[in-house]
Amino acid sequence: METASNNQITEEEKDILQEVMNISFGKASADLTDVINAYVVLSVPDVTLLKAEKLPDYIRDDIKDYNSISIIEQNFWGKFKGICFLIFPSRSGRKLVAMLGEGDDSFEQSDTMAVLEKETLIEVGNILIGACVGKVAELLSEVVTYSPPRVIFEDSPKKNISKDIFEPESMAIIMKTIFSFEGQDINGFLFLVTSQESFGWLKVALHRFMERYE
Amino acid sequence: MSFSQIFDMINMGLVVIDKEMNVRYWNRWMEIHSGISSDEILNRSIFEHFRNLDTPRFNRNCKSVFKLGNFCFFSQKLHKYLFPLKTDSSFKADFDYMQQSCTMGPLRNGSGAITDIFIAVQDVTEVVMYEQQLLEMNTKDGLTGAYNRRFLETQLCKEMERAKRYKRPISVLMLDIDHFKKVNDTYGHQCGDLVLKTISSVVQSCIRKTDFFARYGGEEFCCILPETKPESAVILAERIRKGISKKVVKCKKEPIKVTVSLGVAGATEIIDSPDRLLKKADDALYKAKETGRNRVVVFNDKKVMA
Repeated sequence: METASNNQITEEEKDILQEVMNISFGKASADLTDVINAYVVLSVPDVTLLKAEKLPDYIRDDIKDYNSISIIEQNFWGKFKGICFLIFPSRSGRKLVAMLGEGDDSFEQSDTMAVLEKETLIEVGNILIGACVGKVAELLSEVVTYSPPRVIFEDSPKKNISKDIFEPESMAIIMKTIFSFEGQDINGFLFLVTSQESFGWLKVALHRFMERYE
Repeated sequence: MSFSQIFDMINMGLVVIDKEMNVRYWNRWMEIHSGISSDEILNRSIFEHFRNLDTPRFNRNCKSVFKLGNFCFFSQKLHKYLFPLKTDSSFKADFDYMQQSCTMGPLRNGSGAITDIFIAVQDVTEVVMYEQQLLEMNTKDGLTGAYNRRFLETQLCKEMERAKRYKRPISVLMLDIDHFKKVNDTYGHQCGDLVLKTISSVVQSCIRKTDFFARYGGEEFCCILPETKPESAVILAERIRKGISKKVVKCKKEPIKVTVSLGVAGATEIIDSPDRLLKKADDALYKAKETGRNRVVVFNDKKVMA
């Protein structure tokens, strides 16, 4: 019974997590504006508990209106551990390059525009993911490290992520936000997914977070 | 015993920079590869020695590490290198500087505040060299050095899309060696190969940097000519035809002369897909063969309407 309770997130804990997400994404948004000189709007995050194997279906449902997409994934490590998916509609790379006004040396050194677009997607993805994950971790007094981000699809009509990222039977918490850059026609989805492995730590951290306010 | 000795023995560059962008640590690897000693660079701005780093992208990434505790990854794909360092001698010919993959991350003080950032520099020159070789093998025809058919087809898709978007002309040229089978039968395959190589080099010397030349099939070649109307493509085709007809290939002491037939087609509102454009150029080539070889035929789209 002990393990069962350790592996389940209660409604109350989900509410605390929602609160943590609201605060941290608010902070992330402010800091991001500072870093990339564009106001990043992050929608109120949506917290869902799901069986891990349902994840691709869940994501597919959200992006059904996009013709083709680019997906960037990045793992983060620590007691708070999981994977992030950043989904941009196609041609976002080009818009990001324009937004950041990349006229610096890196452009001249790059082979083609395609490389620049892809690397800009990765760079912005890395910063967005790092801001969101980092702020959640910070609020829960944890430090995380990251693997390099990867582009898993680029302007591809295949809209799916692998089913096998987690144990199919395990549960996952999915934190979803819609991000956009103010004044720019660039937006997409950020899915922050943490598996059952982190639940034990998360429960303790969430209660500790609440204690500070009680 | 201090484990920090490892920093000076590891086969990787390690640099620590504070919030003012002053260098706080410069390991032995960086000393050796940059020729700048730790004493020279410590407590000085990193930009003093590496002005190339003072870009929006580098500064943005540093900011994101200080502000967000982010990790940043500077891949070799875009940046090639952060620090212009000498490469090991055997790769000198291929690269100006050591190709690097760099990682940047936060360093925190006792109370968890980020005070410095580290940069880890990895030499990936060798990997990049192999990658380039693989890429070349994957896109080029080994015998003639022209691109292969698969590369041509993907490139044609891209170029046609671009031409459509910006309403620019684009043409395709198909080239086939006349009576090539006879060359092979008379002089042997080695001579046939030499003829293929010679023709490839003649064409390559006639086209622009922005054109793509590929071996399409056995003795058939194809050229994508962006920003080119069929009228200009014909002029180029003529130049290639004449160039080849003047060329004498010497093989096994035998002089071999060959001619080529060429078909030219340009994209129009009707000929709007790579497949169609290639088909029309091929039709024109067939016509050139049919009407006596050693000539250029341009596909006339009025015939499409008829």
